[in-house]
Amino acid sequence: MASPQAEYVKIVEEMFEKKKEFWLIGQYIQRWDALSKMLGKAKFTADYAYLFKNLVYVYSVRAKYAHARIKRIDVSEAEKVPGVLKVITHKDIPGVNDVGYVLPDQPLLAYEKVRYIGDIVALVVAEDPYVAEEAAEKVYVDYEPLPVITNPLDIVSFGGLKEKEHPLIHEERGSDVIARFRIIKGDVKKGFREADVIVEGEYRTQFQEHAYMEPEAALAVPEPDGGVTVITSTQCPHEARRAISKVLGLPFAKVRVVVPPLGGGFGGKEDVANEIGTKAALAALLTGRPALVVHKREESIIGHSKRHPMIARYKHGAKRDGTLTAVEAEIILDTGAYASLGPFVLWRAIVHSAGPYKIPHVHTEGVAVYTNNVYAGAFRGFGNPQVTFAIEQQMDKLAEELGMDPVELRLKNILRNGDRTVHGQLLDHGVGLEETIRKAVEATDWYRKRAEYAKQTGTIRKGIGLALLWHGNSIGAEGADYSSVTLIINRDGSITFRTGLTDFGQGAIQGLVMIAAEILGVPPDYFRVEQPDTSATPDAGPTVASRSTAMGGNAALVAAYKLRQRLNQVAADMLKCSPEDIEIRAPDVYCKSDPSRKIRWVDLVEECFWRGVPLQEFGYYRAPKAVWEDETGQGEPYFTYTFGTIVAEVTVDMETGKVTVDRITTVYDIGKVINRVGAELHAEGGAIQGMGYALMEELVHDENGRVLNPNLYAYYIPTIMDAPKEIVALWVEAGYRRGPFGAKGLGEPSINGIAPAIANAIAHAIGARITSIPITPEKVYLTLKRLGKIKL
Amino acid sequence: MAQTQAQEYPEITITLNVNGKDYTVNVKPYERLIDVLRYKLGFLSVKEGCGRGECGSCAVIMDGKLVPSCLVLAVQARGKKIITLEGIAPPGKLHAIQKALLDTYAMQCGFCFPGVIMAAYYLLSKNRNPSEDEIRYALSGNLCRCGSYLRFIKAVKLAAEYIRKGQIYFDLKK
Repeated sequence: MASPQAEYVKIVEEMFEKKKEFWLIGQYIQRWDALSKMLGKAKFTADYAYLFKNLVYVYSVRAKYAHARIKRIDVSEAEKVPGVLKVITHKDIPGVNDVGYVLPDQPLLAYEKVRYIGDIVALVVAEDPYVAEEAAEKVYVDYEPLPVITNPLDIVSFGGLKEKEHPLIHEERGSDVIARFRIIKGDVKKGFREADVIVEGEYRTQFQEHAYMEPEAALAVPEPDGGVTVITSTQCPHEARRAISKVLGLPFAKVRVVVPPLGGGFGGKEDVANEIGTKAALAALLTGRPALVVHKREESIIGHSKRHPMIARYKHGAKRDGTLTAVEAEIILDTGAYASLGPFVLWRAIVHSAGPYKIPHVHTEGVAVYTNNVYAGAFRGFGNPQVTFAIEQQMDKLAEELGMDPVELRLKNILRNGDRTVHGQLLDHGVGLEETIRKAVEATDWYRKRAEYAKQTGTIRKGIGLALLWHGNSIGAEGADYSSVTLIINRDGSITFRTGLTDFGQGAIQGLVMIAAEILGVPPDYFRVEQPDTSATPDAGPTVASRSTAMGGNAALVAAYKLRQRLNQVAADMLKCSPEDIEIRAPDVYCKSDPSRKIRWVDLVEECFWRGVPLQEFGYYRAPKAVWEDETGQGEPYFTYTFGTIVAEVTVDMETGKVTVDRITTVYDIGKVINRVGAELHAEGGAIQGMGYALMEELVHDENGRVLNPNLYAYYIPTIMDAPKEIVALWVEAGYRRGPFGAKGLGEPSINGIAPAIANAIAHAIGARITSIPITPEKVYLTLKRLGKIKL
Repeated sequence: MAQTQAQEYPEITITLNVNGKDYTVNVKPYERLIDVLRYKLGFLSVKEGCGRGECGSCAVIMDGKLVPSCLVLAVQARGKKIITLEGIAPPGKLHAIQKALLDTYAMQCGFCFPGVIMAAYYLLSKNRNPSEDEIRYALSGNLCRCGSYLRFIKAVKLAAEYIRKGQIYFDLKK
């Protein structure tokens, strides 16, 4: 008897191998919620406030210092304000006062210390939001200020990444280095001895803010059994439930988390949701009334995780013909005041730290360290955009040294089918990287432009640059990697679709519906996607790490496959042909060999009910086991990788330093395109967000750890005026055997290569390299001036 | 015990017209139009993204002008005519801009859409044949983090085409 694992793996592989014709997969399909959102009827979390009566409002009293000891918290004056029902401090927490995601290092309500400017010391619960905010000024906290550290180089230094002497931010942990990972392969010293050319560089990336348009919100309702229902904007309902249960001291079964549509997430609504859901739940249980938390934009910006800034030193060696011999790197990530997902972000950064290349000798090492900055955590790309920014500029520098075209250098070194990664992982199929390069080069007329732009002398100059990327799918060796989907065919033939994966705009759930629809033969508009709800939708793992399509897609595929087997049996009986001969194309069901033998889909469904053939199915998929050797970084960190090539074309004004992005061409190998709409939107959205990362975005702290630009008037994200004239999205479908119909993820990869491609294009235009982002007009101007390329 | 400022101010009765219908509400002098529209009158399409007039998610039309409703005090809207997303097409119909945004598959998270639609609707009410530059300028106050910008441009052009052909409203059912 086959094990259950063998069954679902067999189904996924069978579908990949046998199914070559598609009636739905690869088409342009409108997402299920497009119309309700277009009409303004979709209800986001904060909208539920209108539907509840007798709400109480929760306001978070935040730290006055980025690093200080708390000597005393006095809430007595605040509690006397009329309309204030309760001021909650750490003493009121019934369970464990911790909302840390990976490490238990982050109190929900600070008590001994505050470690950054967003730390919360108390929650004011009042009848009116304005009253709550005013009363917060009467919460008195006696602080003893401590030295503030905002520079990660005060914690560790290059040349070994050893921890320096410094006042500890987390005394309880005994160290402010939260994680250390490395890849050691071969002998780098030997590799550099064999090199004819060596290039070195230091690269810096900044804090990036998710700036999703919907600030975080949560509404909690106390339940009669002492439990609580929390409606909240989270990417990960089951993770939020775990955190709320822990702080409230309740069993999971008594905490229900419901997720309305999300106004963006990008990784940012991963762990902050634990905090805000918990704040609302706590207030609801302590007052016995529905409690609302809505962050203002300023709170959102100082109060949720950011993209980790990176400082990295890279050294690449190559033979005269371009063959890479060695890569060495030291990478420092600033995780701010709390670990959040920092250890995993660092791990992903290290896994990808040598790029999608064959390299005989590698030693890359990285640390993530605490500072008193806003904490850093998950953000689309998860450590990979940072290292890709460094690696791909190194490759261009190497090409320059060697007098080679950047494309030729990469073609010399890239991973192809049958190659091993720097972790020793064999990639025996599904590596479409070379084809992505060739398509990108052809679509952009690369060689001609490259040669032509090199001759420019005027004030306005054009540049073209490229970057390669790879991205391990799903969570890999980070943790339990499973997903699930429940399909229920209702008696009228409509289908209820349930998964604990969420949609925060990315459209992946529509892809999952299409996968089920493709197999069942029932159009997507028969499906109803239910809101993620821990009391109804199955735990599908977190909605992160480009895993919805690759993992949830398989769960949908398995559920649909099993239903289809049963449906075919009953239909074959009704139509008197073989089960293999049955074609379902709702509203019709017929025999392929004789389409005139036909019944209606609803009749087939009805017959199943009469015969007692169950039409509910639970689809589950568990990823192949990931392997990671801590000391050497050898193993199989991810089960598959998405690959891609980005070409950016820019115009630079040599007098003002202003960079305009004219066109971005993206070619991704995502195994198989499921919904062409979703794929294209990812390519476009990632390109624009990546452009902001490359050119304009930066969260700035002063030396006291205060954020200088906590709203969108000072934290710039791209507007429609900045959007390139054109974004060209092309696809390679190399197929991964254990993806749904061969599909892989695109959520994060779509930002990884944008910044380095733009940086390389700027270097091509101006003949000088800028190695830190954002590449602002000021930076370009000062670089040109320093190099005497500008007269002003 | 002293009251907070929020409690000291008296409420004021105002009447405003939203999507063709008069509403009379009691408001505090510091209350914002966005909160009255959302939480007192239930026009939930109006979204708050920043509270500073930077993101455009709360854009509505007030007496023929496109305004961020987070920067308008409710008392300033006294006697004014306001149009929100709920009011741009008759019940059961889509406005040309909504149809065009569907046609171009522009939808992602959708949080910025009400504001984007209002800005586009405003542009199209003044200009039935906008150029790409004019469209970019008209939507420059609407942030979209999912990055549907290039689709917005296509959609506004398409909507303008529909409108020039006299197709302003479309049936909801496909």
